[in-house]
Amino acid sequence: MSLLTVRRLSKRFGGIAANREISFEVAAGELVGIIGPNGAGKSTLFECISGFYAPDAGEVELEGTRLTGLSPDLVCRRGIARTFQKLRPFQGMTVAENVMVGALTRTRDVRHAREQAHEWLRRVGLLEKANAYARTLSTGQRKRLELARALATGPRLLLLDEVTGGVDQRSIPALVELVRELHAGGLTLLLIEHNMRVVTAVAQRIIALHLGEVIADGAPSAVARSPKVVEAYLGQAYVA
Amino acid sequence: MKAYAPALAFFAAAGLAPLVVDDAFLLDTLVLILVWGCAAGAWNIAGGYAGQISLGHSAFFGLGAYAAALCGVRWNISPWYGVAIGAAVATAAGTVIGFLANRLRGPYFVIATIAVSQVLLLGAARWRGFTAGSEGIPVPFRAGFWTLGIADKRIWVWIVLGLALAVYLSQLYLERSRRGFQLAAVREDEDAALSLGVRARRLKVAAIAASAAFTAVCGALWAQYVGFVDPLYVFSVDLSVRFSLAAIIGGLGTALGPFLGSLLVTTVETWLRAEFGGLGSHLVGLYLILYGSALILMVRYAPQGLMGFFYRR
Amino acid sequence: MRVVNFAHGEFLMLGMYAAFWAFTLLHADPYLTLVVAAPLFLAVGWGSYALIMRPVVHTSHNVQVFTTVGLSIVLQNLALVLWTAYASVISFGGAVLNLAQAVAFVLAVAATAALFAFMRFSYTGKLMRATAQDRSAAMLMGIDTGRIYALTWSVGIACVGAAGVLLAPIYPVYPTAGLQFVLIAYIAVVLGGLGDMAGALVAALIIATVEVVGSYTIGTSWKEVLYLLLFIAILVVRPAGLFGQRGSETLGV
Repeated sequence: MSLLTVRRLSKRFGGIAANREISFEVAAGELVGIIGPNGAGKSTLFECISGFYAPDAGEVELEGTRLTGLSPDLVCRRGIARTFQKLRPFQGMTVAENVMVGALTRTRDVRHAREQAHEWLRRVGLLEKANAYARTLSTGQRKRLELARALATGPRLLLLDEVTGGVDQRSIPALVELVRELHAGGLTLLLIEHNMRVVTAVAQRIIALHLGEVIADGAPSAVARSPKVVEAYLGQAYVA
Repeated sequence: MKAYAPALAFFAAAGLAPLVVDDAFLLDTLVLILVWGCAAGAWNIAGGYAGQISLGHSAFFGLGAYAAALCGVRWNISPWYGVAIGAAVATAAGTVIGFLANRLRGPYFVIATIAVSQVLLLGAARWRGFTAGSEGIPVPFRAGFWTLGIADKRIWVWIVLGLALAVYLSQLYLERSRRGFQLAAVREDEDAALSLGVRARRLKVAAIAASAAFTAVCGALWAQYVGFVDPLYVFSVDLSVRFSLAAIIGGLGTALGPFLGSLLVTTVETWLRAEFGGLGSHLVGLYLILYGSALILMVRYAPQGLMGFFYRR
Repeated sequence: MRVVNFAHGEFLMLGMYAAFWAFTLLHADPYLTLVVAAPLFLAVGWGSYALIMRPVVHTSHNVQVFTTVGLSIVLQNLALVLWTAYASVISFGGAVLNLAQAVAFVLAVAATAALFAFMRFSYTGKLMRATAQDRSAAMLMGIDTGRIYALTWSVGIACVGAAGVLLAPIYPVYPTAGLQFVLIAYIAVVLGGLGDMAGALVAALIIATVEVVGSYTIGTSWKEVLYLLLFIAILVVRPAGLFGQRGSETLGV
């Protein structure tokens, strides 16, 4: 059975159909990239899966358990964590405390949560900043903080929303390596990415969205060459 | 340990004062400092720790005050029951307001809390049959501990000090417990907290309900101490503002802050009242002009309040 | 402006006092005072914006709430210290009271209509609505949002000051007179739907109707409770207000 099943997911905002009958499955251990031009509905998809929006139609299931329409905190406790495109650290708390909030979803003991937080910070390379206030971090560091925080909730599936967005070129390879490591450790990942080099380097499979619909779903090389995808990104004139 | 020096100093001084001070006026001031400190601390649980700013907390205070008064006047039972009944009713009311907190944000929630307190004010002021209407209820003094009829102000200091310690320790709990961390996350960014599995809605309601219960206990004790419950005072918006004023000046979201704020506000107020009472009583308004201005400046430029002087965050 | 002014009632109270002192010291008819009061309060609004509101326009809600609460405390107690707590009354004859209420109603409706037209049809009104919808976008369009906010605030203060002048012949004047009126105002705005002027007017009429009907059926002493409970009930069922956009209340703005 697949880990995540999205079946005919639809979401409208007034006159705009952000998601139109989107269907796909993600098996445990996969790393799937989600691409598409702006307005394709990628973020809406994440919001629907993570529980921030309730879809108008369709189903979201995690290993057979229905997640559709559940509140975000319930979705997290069932095993799906996410990061945000516009970073949202808890500014008034330290880096370690930020991650502890995630850890406290899995453990009741504050001391244990603190240890786990330090462990996650070590893995993402932020340990020396543990006692700094989150508001003092740079963008790249905030990205890693958000990652550590989401990971601390012990998810089975992690939704990464443009994890390399706004990060300078030099720092991207380290971030990508981190994502690879997490994947190698058995985590299932769904990535929204605009950076094609990152996606093709890391993803085993790519789902392309355009105007709310899935227009391609398969191996990176095949998707990159699909005429529909080329048309969506570059326009009719470029279709070979 | 050093971090707690100010708190230790405060509570130790309050506890030892009755042993060395004889003057009734000073002891009275101390009791009031502690009572308003407790009320501010209770408000702080919802406003400072949970981030749910309310200007309707006088609703809970009044419920406690009336519960105590009615126990004495109407039902002829010990006002200690009043404390319990007031706390129970206030917890229910707090749960309702918590529900509202999950539907409204920011200033609009504030307006709703004001509306609730005014409903209770009008209800108490008009329901002659139950609450003796707008004349208020004089609380009967029956000597004895069980009836909370205590003439010795020193005992009152210790009673209220007990409550103060409970409020202070509850706030400390919120700073280091699992629930406290989650609550802080909700306060900072509710959606981010939700995405991490925090039961934001439930926590907010719980914080407000706890805040309500403590406030009601303050109201009940205060009613017994002062001896008279006036609905126009006890449910007033002014009173609600007063709780928040002490908490903010002292340090929003800190455990000792509300007590420091109350120390400052109450001493100035009682001194001014003593100086200018009677014909010049409108001059008492002077200190409030100062506090209003201080509030405006502090909330923008010194949000840490008095506690900010002790601990640079 | 996305700011709830908790000192709104105090400006109303100042308007009432303005009418009272003009009447007592200068024997001026309140309706004459109105003509002077409106621009006067516009200036007061501009001044209070520059002095107090401008520093907090970009801060969090809590800071703004307590800034206006602080302002409310200052104004109330200023009035208390200067003019004592005793209620003052502008005394006309009894029959004139009804005339006063009728005039107040007509002028209020006229002012509301004018304001609505201004917001809808004038260029400045468009600027104000644009800024309200999206501050950053407005700035990018070259709109001086600081000035727009100053204007919005000042117009609001001018309106409420004028309202105070109109109410002075009808109600007793004392430093804490503001709360009872302003509570209805807040309720009307939230009930009608945040940001919707026509909605606020409709809501105000609904509240007035409930008040009057209530006082006939249940008795005058309970009428306020009635509309307060109605307010809370509507908030529970439809927090965006009767005409507001669904979900706008959760933005807190």
